[in-house]
Amino acid sequence: MTELHSHDHVTCQEVVELVTDYFEGALPADQADLFEQHINFCEGCDWYVDEMRTTVAAVGRVKEEDVPDEMRERLLTAFRDWKRK
Amino acid sequence: MAPVQEDHQSIAAAAEEAELLVRLRAGDERAFESLVEAYHGTMLAVARNYVKTRDVAEEVVQEAWLGVLKGLDRFEGRSSLKTWVLKILVNTALTRGGREARSVPFSSLAPAGEDEPAVEPERFRPPGEAFAGHWNGYPGDWSSRPEEGLLGRETIDVAKAAIETLPDAQRTVIAMRDVAGCSAEEVCDTLDVSEGNQRVLLHRARSHVRAALERHLDD
Repeated sequence: MTELHSHDHVTCQEVVELVTDYFEGALPADQADLFEQHINFCEGCDWYVDEMRTTVAAVGRVKEEDVPDEMRERLLTAFRDWKRK
Repeated sequence: MAPVQEDHQSIAAAAEEAELLVRLRAGDERAFESLVEAYHGTMLAVARNYVKTRDVAEEVVQEAWLGVLKGLDRFEGRSSLKTWVLKILVNTALTRGGREARSVPFSSLAPAGEDEPAVEPERFRPPGEAFAGHWNGYPGDWSSRPEEGLLGRETIDVAKAAIETLPDAQRTVIAMRDVAGCSAEEVCDTLDVSEGNQRVLLHRARSHVRAALERHLDD
């Protein structure tokens, strides 16, 4: 996703683009090391990564849509018909 | 996550699914109803990616279930039941076609080269300056806030509203992954996108929602 400019350092601007790859375990080992080293020493990025975790948690609490009653009834009827065949 | 644990989980999931299939084929209404409930959020999110309105998306979901019933006796379990159901859903949405279908297929909405940054570039020191690419001012420390406020009703409503403003592909991916709890693999299989594109779409979507939460919490 983001091209790293050097091999011994990532900037904050790069960190914010690597967070999802990091969470997904998709960063190559050397990049994951650089990422972790950075957030160990950079309070701003540590907070940012925490904000992204909170974001995932908040989205996880968004309630899923309920099945509309009418659809439920129609599908159950279809299931009963299917069963009879 | 360790591969061993993943194995255990998938074995458990496969056993559960085999049992569910037996119940469905035996005509167990409760099993069918719980399946309809369990997949509804995911199916609606996916359908909305292919058709223009929510109403049509609901019709597509309903039609897809009829297709599932038609094929249930022939389902051989080469993919998971969920993946199979979602494939039927996508095909139903695509064949629906006509004026209700989106004119732009999903694959062309997949991310290209140009980047939408997660955080506005002005918040970092510009190139050429000392500490280029480092924060001008730190983002907020949300960990110092009480969790009730952070993950309270209002915050979740803001997150929900932010998801609704996302481009279709991003909204679909975040709804599948983070709202409905689908795996990356399920998203890739259903929407026919690469793992890399799936991650880019998820990243943009989460970054957008984070920015909306930041505006809300820093008010």
